[in-house]
Amino acid sequence: MVLYNPQNAKDVCDIISGALAGGGKLEIIGGGTRTDFGAPNRETDRLSLKSLSGIIDYNPSELVLTARAGTPLTELNEAVSARGQGFAFEPWGAFMSTIGGVIAAGVSGPRRISAGAVRDHLLGFEAVSGRGESFRGGAKVVKNVTGYDLPKLLCGSWGRLAALTEVTLKVLPRPPERLTLLWRGLADELGFALMRKAMRQPVDVAAAAHLPGQATLIRLDGFGPSVASRRAHLNAVLTKYGAPEAMDEAEAAPLWATCQGGGALPSGPPLWRLSLPPRRALASIAPLLAMGGDYVADWAGGLIWLSLAGHEEVIRQRAAHVGGHATLARAPAELRERLPALHPQPPAIEALYRRIRRAFDPLGVFETNRFLDETNAD
Amino acid sequence: MPLKMPLPDQRVLARRDEIIAALRRIVPGEGVIERPDELRPYESDGLTAYRQPPMVVVLPETVEQVAAVLSYCHKHGVKVVPRGSGTSVSGGALPLADAVLLGMGKFNKVLEIDYEDRLAVVQPGVTNLAITNAVEGEGFYYAPDPSSQIACSIGGNVAENSGGVHCLKYGLTTNNVLGVQFVTIDGEVLRIGGKALDAPGLDLLGIIVGSEGLLGVVTEVTVRILPKPETARALLAGFPTVESAGQCVADTIAAGIIPAGMEMMDKPAIHAAEAFVNVGYPLDVEALLIVELDGPAAECNHLLEEVQAIANRNGAVTLRASQDEAERLAFWAGRKAAFPAVGRISADYLCMDGTIPRGQLPKVLRRMNELAAQYSLDVANMFHAGDGNLHPLILYDASKPGELERAEEFGADILRLCVEVGGVLTGEHGVGVEKRDLMPVMFSEVDLRQQQRLKCAFDPDSLLNPGKVFPTLHRCAELGRMHVHRGRLPFPELPRF
Amino acid sequence: MQTDFSSAQLANPQMAASEAVIRKCVHCGFCIATCPTYALLGDELDSPRGRIYLIKDMLENERTPGPDVVKHIDRCLSCLSCMTTCPSGVNYMHLVDHARAYIEQRYRRPWSERILRAAVAAILPRPPRFRAALRLARIIQPLAPLLQGVKLLRPAATMLKLAPPRLPPQAVIAIVNAPSTRGRVVLMQGCVEPVLRPEIRAASLRLLKRCGYQVSFVPGEECCGALTHHMGKETKALQSARRNIDVWMREIEAGLEAIIITASGCGTTVKDYGFILRNDPLYAAKAAQVSALAKDITEVLEASGLPPRADIPALTVAYHSACSLQHGQKITAAPQNLLRAGGFTVRQPVDSHLCCGSAGTYNIFQPEISAQLGTRKAETLSQFAPDVIATGNIGCAVQIGQHTGVPVVHTVELLDWATGGPPPAALVAKLPHVPA
Repeated sequence: MVLYNPQNAKDVCDIISGALAGGGKLEIIGGGTRTDFGAPNRETDRLSLKSLSGIIDYNPSELVLTARAGTPLTELNEAVSARGQGFAFEPWGAFMSTIGGVIAAGVSGPRRISAGAVRDHLLGFEAVSGRGESFRGGAKVVKNVTGYDLPKLLCGSWGRLAALTEVTLKVLPRPPERLTLLWRGLADELGFALMRKAMRQPVDVAAAAHLPGQATLIRLDGFGPSVASRRAHLNAVLTKYGAPEAMDEAEAAPLWATCQGGGALPSGPPLWRLSLPPRRALASIAPLLAMGGDYVADWAGGLIWLSLAGHEEVIRQRAAHVGGHATLARAPAELRERLPALHPQPPAIEALYRRIRRAFDPLGVFETNRFLDETNAD
Repeated sequence: MPLKMPLPDQRVLARRDEIIAALRRIVPGEGVIERPDELRPYESDGLTAYRQPPMVVVLPETVEQVAAVLSYCHKHGVKVVPRGSGTSVSGGALPLADAVLLGMGKFNKVLEIDYEDRLAVVQPGVTNLAITNAVEGEGFYYAPDPSSQIACSIGGNVAENSGGVHCLKYGLTTNNVLGVQFVTIDGEVLRIGGKALDAPGLDLLGIIVGSEGLLGVVTEVTVRILPKPETARALLAGFPTVESAGQCVADTIAAGIIPAGMEMMDKPAIHAAEAFVNVGYPLDVEALLIVELDGPAAECNHLLEEVQAIANRNGAVTLRASQDEAERLAFWAGRKAAFPAVGRISADYLCMDGTIPRGQLPKVLRRMNELAAQYSLDVANMFHAGDGNLHPLILYDASKPGELERAEEFGADILRLCVEVGGVLTGEHGVGVEKRDLMPVMFSEVDLRQQQRLKCAFDPDSLLNPGKVFPTLHRCAELGRMHVHRGRLPFPELPRF
Repeated sequence: MQTDFSSAQLANPQMAASEAVIRKCVHCGFCIATCPTYALLGDELDSPRGRIYLIKDMLENERTPGPDVVKHIDRCLSCLSCMTTCPSGVNYMHLVDHARAYIEQRYRRPWSERILRAAVAAILPRPPRFRAALRLARIIQPLAPLLQGVKLLRPAATMLKLAPPRLPPQAVIAIVNAPSTRGRVVLMQGCVEPVLRPEIRAASLRLLKRCGYQVSFVPGEECCGALTHHMGKETKALQSARRNIDVWMREIEAGLEAIIITASGCGTTVKDYGFILRNDPLYAAKAAQVSALAKDITEVLEASGLPPRADIPALTVAYHSACSLQHGQKITAAPQNLLRAGGFTVRQPVDSHLCCGSAGTYNIFQPEISAQLGTRKAETLSQFAPDVIATGNIGCAVQIGQHTGVPVVHTVELLDWATGGPPPAALVAKLPHVPA
C-alpha cells in the first residue's frame, strides 16, 4: 500500500495517470481524519493531498478565499478570523482536517440552518479527474450560473469524482455577537416544540439544538442592538418554556461542540447521522430511543446524531419513511464491512450516481469499495 | 439569423404527422399544437432576436403525460425543448425546427404549504411571486426575487438558478430549493431531495438547479419559505464618482454588514429611470446606490445609521433614508422600472449579464465607455453592487441595418472583459444560446468536455435542449473514449459514454 | 418587437395605430401573469403576449385567420388586466379591438355562431327587445337542461340560465329637480342595467340629487356601443357612438358638469369615444369632448364628497373591483374609500385583479371559462363571510350573483342607503337585521 504525497497539481495528475496505466486504485485523503468512514480494510494505494497547502488568494472585501485543497481547516479559520470573517457553514473536524476533506465529506455545523451548508459556500475548484486531467468547475465570484454547478456535486462526493487541488470559498463577516439562549432540562417533546416555534419567528435564528437531559439551545448571531431586540421577541413568544439562561460565545462553545459529530454520545455503540424533516424527527426516532438509543439533535431537529447498537434495518427504514436518510458515521469494522455507510437509494437513483461517477472516473480508479455500491469487473 | 443551431433531423421531420398523432394519444384535447400560425407565438422567449417555430408544441397536465412524452421522444430520437413562462432573456426556451416544445404552463398549482418545516411544494408553472402570495397571509415569503418574478415560473428559476436583488443576503434559487420531482429523458420519474435538509449521496439537486433544461424536466419543486422580516428600510445615496460608490460598497462589507440588497445605477440609467417614474433621483451624480436593510426594526435602524456614516465618509453628495414603507418602495420604483424605462428612450436594447469582482467595477465601466465610443452605441448600467453582478443595457435600433449585430458584438466584448478581470459570463440569466459561443472564453476545452460528460450521464443521445449552453455537441461515445487496459474493460455492464 | 408592415399597410391609419402598439411590446411576458385565461389554460396562445403575436402575424400578412386563431382571440375577456401589468405601456385594448373588427370582416363564422352573435347584437342593446326576450326566457326556462344537451343549442341554454327568474317592473322615472348647488349632470341610462336592475338608476338619482346635482336623462341615448364593439361589429358600434355624441352635444352646449355612467363597462367605452372616432373628421373633436366629460359615478362622488351619514347597521362589504373600472378606467381606491366613508367595513378578495368572467357578453359566448372564473371569484369574495358584495358594473353583479348566495348590489345602492336612502331590496330580502 503506497502513500503518494504530491506537492502540486501536476504531481497529482501524474499519480492518477500512473494508477490508470497500472490498473490500480487510489483513495484520496486529506488529513486522514475520516478514514474509518465506510468499509474497512481498503487496501489500496493512497493519494494524500496534505502537501497541497496554503492560501492562494484572500480578498475580504470580495468575500472570497482561494486555497489549496490540503490546507488545514485551522489555518484557514485563523486567517479569516484575523480579518473579522469566517466560514458561515461552520465546518468542523479533528485537528488535521483539511478544507478539501471537509468539502469532500460535506461537513457543516449548527449554523447550517440559517447560513447554508458547505455546498452553498463552495464557489469554484480545480481538481484532477479519474482520467488524470486537471479541470475547473465554478468560478471565483459569488454569483455565477455559467455552465453546470459542479461545485455542488463535489461537496459530499467523498473523493469519488476527482481529487480536489484548489478550492474557492465564500467567506462572510463574523457576527460581532453570538448569544445562546438555553433552557435546561426540557423533555424531548418540549425541546423540539420550542425549536419549531423559534424557527417560525422573524428573528433569524442562527442555530438550534436539543441536547436531551441537558439543554435546548437557540443561538442569535449579529450586531448588539439586533440581537437584543430579537432576544426580546423570542422571550415574549416562548414564555411557556420558562425563562432561559443566556451565554455568550465563549461560554456556549462547548455545548455547541457537542453537536459536531455527536461528540458527547457514548462511544461504544455505532454512531448514526440521520437527516430528517425537523417536524417529524422526534416521532421518527422515538422507537429507536425506546430500544436504547442516545441522541443529540442539531439543525432544529433536522440532524440527529444517534448512538445505538443493532437495529440497522429499522434505523434506515424509520429515516426513509419520513423522506430522510441515515448515514453510518462510526461503527466497528465488522459492521462497516457489510453495511454501506451511505443510505442506499432507489435503483434508478443509484444507477444515476453510478453514471455520474463514470463521467468523472470512467475506469473507476477512485472506486476502492469503500461504499459497497460498486461491482467490479473482476 | 446568424446563430448556429443543430441541424434539423430530416428523418424526424419526415415523420412529423406520425409523431404528432402519437403525442395526441398521450396528451388529448388542446394540449398538442401543430398549425403554423399557432406555433409562431412559441417561436421565442424573452430574447426576441432569435426565433424558431418548433415542430410541435405539447402542453401536458400530469407527470404521467410528461414521462410518456419524454419516453416516446427518447425511443424515436425526437429532441425536446422545455419551456416555463418563456421569460428567459438568454434564449433558454428557443425551439428547434425538429423539436417538441414542452410547455409546462398547465402545471400551475400550489400543492402543499408546510409552515412548521417552512417549505412549500409547488408545480413548476407556478410563478415566483405566486409562491410568496400563497404564503404571505401567514407572514412568510419566498426570498429569491428576479425582476420578472411576477411572470417567471419557479421551474424556469430552477433551470436558470435565478437570482434577484435580495440574493445577496438570501442566496440564489439553488440555496432555496429543497427538492424536486424530476423526469429524465427516458421517462423515469425521480424524487430528489424533499423535506430533509441534505442529500443522501451525490448532490443531484445541486446539479439539476441551473442545468438550463439540459438534464431533465422538473415536474414539482419544494422551496424554502422564510418568515417575513419585521421591517425593511432603504438608503438612497448619490456619489460624484463610480469609484467612491464602489468604495462605499467595499467598506460596508468590510464593516461586516451584508445588506438585504445593494444596487447601483450609473448616470444614464438614473436619468432614464427618473424620466419614467419621477421619484426624485438626483440627476447630477455619477452613481446612485440603493441599499436595503431588513430585519427587526432595531437592527435596520442601527445598520442604516452605520451605512449612512460609511456613505458620508466616501463623499456621498446626496443621502436619503426611507422614513416609511411608501418611501422605501418609491426608492426602488425607479430601479425596478429601469428596463422598461430604458425601453422608452431607445427603440431596442440588449440586457447583458455578467459578474465581476466588485473591486473591478470602476475599471470595467471605464473600459465599457471606451467600447461604447468604439461601437457608437450608448450603454446604461445596472449593477448588483453587493455581489458584482453587472447588467449593462446596450441601446440600439433594430430597424437600422447592422445595429443589432454591432450591439451583440459590443455585448460579447463586455462579457469577455468580465472574464478577463476574474469574473464570469453570467450571474443570473443563464448561458442559453446568448452566451453559448463565449463559453470557451471562460472554460478550457478540458473543462467543457468534463461538463458535457456529466450531461451524458443524464441524456446520452443529447435530446434535451441541444444547442444551448455548450458550443459544440460532442457525441457521448467520443467523450467517453478511453484506453482499454490489458484487453479488459472495467464495468462491462455499463453503457459507454 | 420588430414589425414587418409594408408602407402601403401603414398608410391605413388603423394599421398604423396597431403597428405602433405592437412595436411597444418587448415580449417580456409580465402580462401573462395576470391574464385570467392564461391562469386557467396555461397556453401562451391564450395570453396577451401570445395574442399580440397572433394579431401581429394576422395583420402583417393580411391573412384570413383560421378558426383556431379566432378561438384564441375570442377567448380574450378584454379585462385589460394586462394593461395594468405591462411595464412598456402597450395599449392592448386598442389592438384587440382592431383585431376583432378585422376578424368580423374577414372571417366567416359557422352559421350557428353568426346567428347567435347577430341575435345578441340585435336584442341586448335595446331595452324593449331585451325585456321581451326575458319574458320569453321566463316561459321556456324549464327547457334549459334539454337545450344544454344539444351542442348547437348550448349558448341558448346559457342565456336562459342567465335570465333572472323575475323581471323587475319597468321603472318610470320622472325627474323633479330642486335648485342645484353643483350644476347639471347627465346620468347615462344604459341598455341592460335598467332592464335587469332598475334600482341602480333609482339609487344613483337619489344620491346625486342629495349631493346637490341637477340630473338629466337624455332622450335619444342608446347603448354605448361596447357590446357590438367587442364583437367586432365596428359599423354598428360607431353608429351608436355617433348617435350618443349627437344627443349629448346638445346637453354639453347647454352647460354640463359631467356625463355620469354607472356601468363601468360602458364608462370605459365612452371614455374611448375620442380614440374610436379619431379618424372621423366630423366627429373627432366632439367625441374627444364627450370622452373628457364621461365619468364613473364614483369619480364624481369622490370629488364632491358624500352627504352626511345616516344611521344604518355597519355591514361588512366584499368589494369586487370590476375590470373595466380598475384596469380600464384605473379607478381602484375611490369606490372603497366612499364605502368606508359610508360606515361600511370594506374587504377585497385575494386575486382582486382577476376577472369574474362576465366581460360583457363573454358569459354567453364562452360559458365554460366564464363559469370557472365566476366560481373562483365568488369563492374568494365569500372567504371572509361578508354581509354583501358590492361592485360597479351590471355584468359583474349578474355573473357573481349566479355563483353565490351572498346578496350582490351596486356600490351606489349602498352609498345611497348610507346617506339617507332606502336599504337595497336585495339586502332586505336576505338580511334580517336590515329593516325594510
